[in-house]
Amino acid sequence: MVTVTIDNKKIEVPEGTTVLRAAQSANIDIPTLCDHPHLTPYGGCRLCLVEIEGARTLQPSCTMPVSNNMVVHTDTQKVQDARKFVLTLIFSERNHFCPYCQVSGGDCELQNSAYGQGMTHWPLSPNFQRYPVDASHPYIIMENNRCILCRRCVRACGELVGNFTLGFEERGASSLLVADTGVALGESSCVSCGTCIQVCPTGALIDRWSAYRGHEEQTDTTQTICVGCSVGCGIDVFTRDNNLVKIDGNWDAAVNEGVICKVGRFEPMVEKCDRVATPLVRKNGALKAATWEEAIAVAADGLKSTKKNSEDIAAVISTRQPVETLSAFKQLFAGKLGSTNVTTLEEGAFTRSFANHAEELGKSFEGKLDALKSADAILAIDTDLIHRHEFLGFVAKRMLPNGTKLLVIDQKDNDLAHLSNKFLKATKGKEEDVLAALSAAIVKLGLAKGKTSIKAGDLDALAAKTGVASVDYLDAAYVIATGEKPVILVEDGITPAALAAFANLIGAGIISVKGSANSLAASQLKLDHNLDLKSSKAVFIIAGDDEVSQKFVKHIEKVPFKVVQATYASTLTAMADVVFPSTNWLEQDGHYVNFEGRVQEARRAITPAEDMMSAGETLGALATKLGFSLDNSWEKELHQRVASVELN
Amino acid sequence: MGKPKVSSDWLAGCAGCHMSLLDMDERIATVLELADLRSTPITDLKEPDATGVDVGILEGAISNTYNEEVAQKMRQRCKILVALGDCAVFGGVPAMRNFFTIEESLRRAYVETESTDESGKIPDDPELAVPTKVRALQDVVPVDVFVPGCPPDADTIFYVLAELAQGRIPEVKGDKLHWH
Repeated sequence: MVTVTIDNKKIEVPEGTTVLRAAQSANIDIPTLCDHPHLTPYGGCRLCLVEIEGARTLQPSCTMPVSNNMVVHTDTQKVQDARKFVLTLIFSERNHFCPYCQVSGGDCELQNSAYGQGMTHWPLSPNFQRYPVDASHPYIIMENNRCILCRRCVRACGELVGNFTLGFEERGASSLLVADTGVALGESSCVSCGTCIQVCPTGALIDRWSAYRGHEEQTDTTQTICVGCSVGCGIDVFTRDNNLVKIDGNWDAAVNEGVICKVGRFEPMVEKCDRVATPLVRKNGALKAATWEEAIAVAADGLKSTKKNSEDIAAVISTRQPVETLSAFKQLFAGKLGSTNVTTLEEGAFTRSFANHAEELGKSFEGKLDALKSADAILAIDTDLIHRHEFLGFVAKRMLPNGTKLLVIDQKDNDLAHLSNKFLKATKGKEEDVLAALSAAIVKLGLAKGKTSIKAGDLDALAAKTGVASVDYLDAAYVIATGEKPVILVEDGITPAALAAFANLIGAGIISVKGSANSLAASQLKLDHNLDLKSSKAVFIIAGDDEVSQKFVKHIEKVPFKVVQATYASTLTAMADVVFPSTNWLEQDGHYVNFEGRVQEARRAITPAEDMMSAGETLGALATKLGFSLDNSWEKELHQRVASVELN
Repeated sequence: MGKPKVSSDWLAGCAGCHMSLLDMDERIATVLELADLRSTPITDLKEPDATGVDVGILEGAISNTYNEEVAQKMRQRCKILVALGDCAVFGGVPAMRNFFTIEESLRRAYVETESTDESGKIPDDPELAVPTKVRALQDVVPVDVFVPGCPPDADTIFYVLAELAQGRIPEVKGDKLHWH
């Protein structure tokens, strides 16, 4: 610890702390622009200049580490003059005319800084040089005229997302924010995560959707989680008069620490399909609008009259629904109606083998996200981290420049492969064969940390089974087995026992990325069977706002009586006998269990239309109509089975 | 000492700042009690008194030689010059013209607009003012008080006028300070 005096306040901070962070820890406000708490200090804007006794000139507090007995003044006349001068220079460089900028009026850190310094005008007039505007991207406009060259976006793109799309070309006043090697942003390697917009202190990066729809102070903010996939990123949902304005990553969320992908940020902004507005009941062959009472009565009668055997009623629910709903669903159909055919749209595909393995072991065996965040070697096996569970891909990618090694194994092409230290495309054999061959290579190199019955001499024979050369296995073995803290990421399809044996060999943690938002919760409730409709006479489907595959629609076509609850009209609702409308994920509350067992609460951000019900409410009404009562025992149920990853 | 004399005029702007001035409603009576309102664009007198006024207020940016003349005359005839609104303070919306050449702007305005037929022609009467680069007021004459805002709030304008009328220099800060 070192002692530093800032504005006559004695502060103790760990060595290496910057003057800025030390001041912030003591609630001393130093204005900044290029600084961002989640990015490495850059020292580009010079707004945070402070006076340090003994120093010849003013020093940028964001990059200056404290030293013992340092005496700092943050608000002397000299410092104030310097801040005004810095702002004066920034305003003179490009087009900072406020009235037509979407962030003017509260959301602009540059404007707020000027207000903070009491600037009523610009001492230097702008030089009116024109810079390009790039509007080629579907979600983002890059407005170089408003850029202050703070490079937050560049740092966020690299340090947080690991994408390194954004960068600068030219020097000084000609500096230009560009994508890749100067291509249009819309045709670049950009993955549309929008983190650059979230960190931009000015209006230089424009979110096409939210621009001019309301400033942050005019909007209501709901802290909730994204249910786009099993990661469960924390998000801030901004609404104005019950309309969605924008979604940001929540900087305080333990899972994603502010970063989200396009699934969470941009895709919810556009409702691509028509909403189901009222309950519908099939009369004389056509779906007709009905009241909730009518529709529930028809559904209840249909279910009651079909139920003779336990296979007569099939029930399928989306894993995007909260645990409360999954639990109510299971209670009603498996419990009260005694059906043996109650499952999810995923049918346990991403969780079943791991859940069974945990039960055999009698304990959880998977690692947590933190293990991935600190891994020095990553093996991604048959896992697409570029198009699914994108945040995990960001974590993997952003660690590569720090020396983390990446091995990708896949039977198909994998878009993470070009970033990997080694890619094995195993076109033949099973994943287990690949792991066996890799184990042999590890033994051969003498890198094994655990025991295995596989011998170095087996390598050639095992490799041949998979269509990959032995030498490639040796390369791969070196990549993954030299790590101190390796992590294996899997999606599905691997025998957990084989995987666990391999993980043991190299001392690795295993993380299964699973499927949708509540895959793990559904697994805990044992909603993970394969759907068997051979003898089904009725099927009850809660799709909610999930997308349902055409294969599934075809699969259920022949069932005589079909009840569907869905947010959006689709071929599925078109063939149903009873259709219930449904809230979407932003319109309902509930809990979700992410891929690493974290139980998180999703909060309602938008009030649904008056005559709208969530799936949970509908199940309650249906149960009442059938003469049953459902309890709220989801928390207990979650823990009735040992999970593949510890729940918390 | 009598009531301080106040004159105002508008240059390259939209008149919105004067609208905002009128937006102070019945408080304008208080201003009239405190000050002697001389020339303004909305009263009969069109030029500040040759004998001088105490406060001159200018809205709008300097976009041509005529604006320059008005600004210089106001500066010569007033003791305290107020730049009212974003255009006078920064150049504002009219200054967007500076990202193009004057020739381009004139062609766009008089020839290429969607409502202009083939007879469109850039005016060249020698009596017309000559367009220049658009500047903030302070780039042409010294300014004493800056009141930014697009437009500044009526409350801010009332505060500024009331302070000036009572012989004080207003401080535009806190809630009164905004650039949009």
